[in-house]
Amino acid sequence: MRGLLAALAGLVAVLFVASLLIGPAPAGPGESLRALATGEGAMGIVMREIRLPRALLAVLVGAALGLGGAAFQGWLRNPLAEPGLIGISPAAALGAVVALQTGLAALHPLVLPGAALAFAAVAGALILALAGRGGATLALILAGIAVSALAGALTSLALSLSPNPFAAAEAVFWMLGSLADRSMLHVWIAAPFVLAGAALVLRLGPALDALSLGEAAAAALGVRLGAVRLQLVVGTAAMVGAAVAVAGAVGFVGLVVPHLLRGAVGARPGRLLPASALGGAAMVLAADIAVRVIAPERDLKLGVLTALVGAPFFLDLIRRNRGAAG
Amino acid sequence: MSGALLRLEGLGVRRGGRAVLEGVSLSVAPGEVLGLIGPNGAGKTTLLQAALGLVPATGTSSLASLTPGARARAAAYLPQAREIAWPLAVADVVALGRLPWGRLDAGGAVGRALAAMDLGPLAARPATALSGGEQARVLIARALAQEAPLILADEPVSGLDPAAQIRAMLVFAGRAAAGHAVVASVHDLGLAARHCTRLVLLHLGRVVADGPPAEVLTPDRVAAVFGLRGRLEDGPEGAVFTTLGLAGGGAAPPW
Repeated sequence: MRGLLAALAGLVAVLFVASLLIGPAPAGPGESLRALATGEGAMGIVMREIRLPRALLAVLVGAALGLGGAAFQGWLRNPLAEPGLIGISPAAALGAVVALQTGLAALHPLVLPGAALAFAAVAGALILALAGRGGATLALILAGIAVSALAGALTSLALSLSPNPFAAAEAVFWMLGSLADRSMLHVWIAAPFVLAGAALVLRLGPALDALSLGEAAAAALGVRLGAVRLQLVVGTAAMVGAAVAVAGAVGFVGLVVPHLLRGAVGARPGRLLPASALGGAAMVLAADIAVRVIAPERDLKLGVLTALVGAPFFLDLIRRNRGAAG
Repeated sequence: MSGALLRLEGLGVRRGGRAVLEGVSLSVAPGEVLGLIGPNGAGKTTLLQAALGLVPATGTSSLASLTPGARARAAAYLPQAREIAWPLAVADVVALGRLPWGRLDAGGAVGRALAAMDLGPLAARPATALSGGEQARVLIARALAQEAPLILADEPVSGLDPAAQIRAMLVFAGRAAAGHAVVASVHDLGLAARHCTRLVLLHLGRVVADGPPAEVLTPDRVAAVFGLRGRLEDGPEGAVFTTLGLAGGGAAPPW
């Protein structure tokens, strides 16, 4: 287990450095890293203002999505679960689209991520209020699906009421997910929410382990189901809301990464949490590098790539699991 | 009884406007293997859940008033539904019983529980790849590994092969002899009569009889509550309850 986490952390570190070194600006690895350290010259600005925030955001966004996916799968005891299921990410996307469509996003770089985070928070509060007191899972999922559908419909409405086709195209492109042209400001917006949310969610390990035996058995093992649900929804809304706020919708990471790593942690949901956070960071870093290597001239979208790579991979995984089960 | 491991007073549960459990008062002392018997729908599961405070109930239960953590150290609960969500190794499932103790297993409780349920050879196998009966044994071992003074088990032996059923009941008897206690709902009246020190007969949510097997399993009561004809005898190795047929003659039910 320690070996796995160390290996994943090593992978994240290697990909992080690779992400720093790959880009259109012509500079060797040594020169790039020196420029990052000193911040001098044009290369210093490229490293500190463009590549460093991009790599840091890939880590934050990937860790948030991977951890959120693992936590939801553990909580619902269902490998198909992810935070999008209960409407957190659709609501954050709606907030961003509203900010873009109203033109408010152009006023200040903080407006768009702020709106996305605010909508994610409203969605989380709405879901918890609709689901009622206690720890019931089904009520929360139903409330989440309703919020998710509502956010999706309102996003479509905002797009169809678009003042001009350019605004609509901008919003659609934003929703495809990307880490291009982000600044350290985005890092400072996302980091506190991702770290605070992760701190809440990572503590759920023992409760998620106990939930492997069902809700009644977990409750009898001392798990406070209502508190777990609250912690999960608040933590995930903060993490995933922040991820969507700075990167748009990056799909499939929350679904695929926990699935990939489950075997390596002996299927223990608690141990899957830190592993999936690191695995998600590695996947988004790798995908963001691929975006730059495959089509440096075209703006290939990160969310498109994760889904393009993730979906066939996921299908293969399902096929192999089916073989193992039957 | 100040040393009781569980005390229920006037416990009642209403569901859908109906009383599914009403006025249940009893206490469980160390050394007892209490068999909870009664036909389907008598309230056995509800009684166990209400005793733990897992469902809203009127009346009092000594366990329900504890904090969740303290309750988990006072009583282990084995639900009727056998749920193992992920392909966890058998030993890892059993180790979940140590969660209330901060996962500490200094005394080797997990190993003891695996051995008690004869699961040693299966310890590394994914629990979801086992048969239903084997999974049931894994979950009994999980409850044993919790090493709480009281075990509340909902139909622990249903679905087990006959040897495993007897083995489980003997393990429960062993826990009781060591000063713990077990409350288990049981459908097999033969197993209940042989292995329980005390039976509580539930019917329509109420306790109809409470005492040693010979006092509870009288022919009249068995006929009235279960609709069965049966006979309880003293065999050379203990009480033997034989089911003879349906009450009111041996005619096949109309169909």
